[in-house]
Amino acid sequence: MNTAAIVVENLSVGYGRGRGSGGRSFGDRGASTVLDGLSLTIPAGQTFALLGRNGAGKTTLIRTLLGLLEPAAGRVEVLGVNPTTQPLVVRSRIGYLAEDQSMYPGMTADELAAFLAPFYPTWDAALARDLFQQFGVPTGVRIKQLSKGHTVRLGLALALAHRPELVILDDPAMGLDPITRKQFNRDVVEHLQAEGRTVFYSSHLLYEVEAVADAVAILDGGRLVRVGTTEAVQNDVKRVLVSGDVLLAGPKPEKLLDVTRRGDRLAVTLDGAPAWIERLDAAEADYAVEDLSLDEIFEAFVIGQTELWPDRSAGVTAVVK
Amino acid sequence: MHIRIQRGSSVPISRQIDAQVRAQILSGVLRAEDQLPSVRQLARELAVNVNTVFRVYERLAADGLIELRHGDGTYVAPRRKGAAGAQLARRRREFGAELDALVRRALMLGVAAEELPRWLAESLERVQREIPPAETSPGDSPKRERAEQDTPSAGTRR
Repeated sequence: MNTAAIVVENLSVGYGRGRGSGGRSFGDRGASTVLDGLSLTIPAGQTFALLGRNGAGKTTLIRTLLGLLEPAAGRVEVLGVNPTTQPLVVRSRIGYLAEDQSMYPGMTADELAAFLAPFYPTWDAALARDLFQQFGVPTGVRIKQLSKGHTVRLGLALALAHRPELVILDDPAMGLDPITRKQFNRDVVEHLQAEGRTVFYSSHLLYEVEAVADAVAILDGGRLVRVGTTEAVQNDVKRVLVSGDVLLAGPKPEKLLDVTRRGDRLAVTLDGAPAWIERLDAAEADYAVEDLSLDEIFEAFVIGQTELWPDRSAGVTAVVK
Repeated sequence: MHIRIQRGSSVPISRQIDAQVRAQILSGVLRAEDQLPSVRQLARELAVNVNTVFRVYERLAADGLIELRHGDGTYVAPRRKGAAGAQLARRRREFGAELDALVRRALMLGVAAEELPRWLAESLERVQREIPPAETSPGDSPKRERAEQDTPSAGTRR
């Protein structure tokens, strides 16, 4: 049974330099490696958010899913099809909203829709008109005169008009004001989730993602550092306040993310917190647990520092007071 | 039904929605046979994941607070004597524990004990200014006359 919309296995992608292969990747994985050994499965019908800082590799992953970049190693499958060997089949079945909306500025929305229609066998002109209306996109105005918000919503309408099974959005909320962002999220919730379509989108606005996504993946330096439902991630990643003595008594947690000093205690942020907290309970240790926002969790994964974890050889005095 | 979501909070969205619907049912703001917005409506209104709202409704239904009537809609379940009261009492105990944690934090931040009542009074004032009065009034019994402030779908079967 194949219910996965996207399967990525041990994917590595690099940008080649020179050798006349222009932007193509090849086996040589040196300093140009952008994605490094990525594995990810996204079930059909899920809204999946890819989180990462600028340059983390979000757009590279999306371009690989679209068949615009070739993997240096590993396997990619989109809707059961290999985008590297059958890019046109893949692209006809997905809707894609690029990071920067570069649409023919001299055309109106209606003209652009008519221009795009022949490229897609499943294009539904009536649906395109419907979506323009629902999204409040002015159809008689040249695209260059549209606001940023209208342009993004026009892009979304055009990405949906061929009834794609999978929609890929590359940082769609970038540059939108908070109200337009909320409207855009509403459109996603109403037109994509409610219709059971798979949505894969990248973002760096974590508080937006939290409300809309089923699951998130944190991409950092070309590697996936955490994948899970937003609820599970918030349940597993906690900050625990304990004294240095307590930490010295027990083993270091496997998935330690960050340690900072807080008064005479240490604030320990870790993944897999519930099991570790159970151990603290068993040892009757004194501690306090803090819930974290997705923002704080992201930060812990991406820029967390663990040097302050007390070392037995350094002794307790270095930590306490 | 009035629900407010705080994005970027350390409390997961699903827990925020769950707690607010539950509180409104247990305190009598929402009453038996009141209709709730559909999963899609509420998801759209809050701009929140459809599955999140669905899971919250399922959990509330499993706890006997609401009923998902196939092809008809979602309604507040008739009260089972005692059960809701016990839940309300438990929720209030939990609130007491949360308040303790907040007070501890305030003391940790150097807020003097005698200043605390003023903090509480100011918070209460802010909260009451934000939310229509008919929806607050803690500790008071369910009202007979209710203000018509629900979402259009709620209460259509009154």
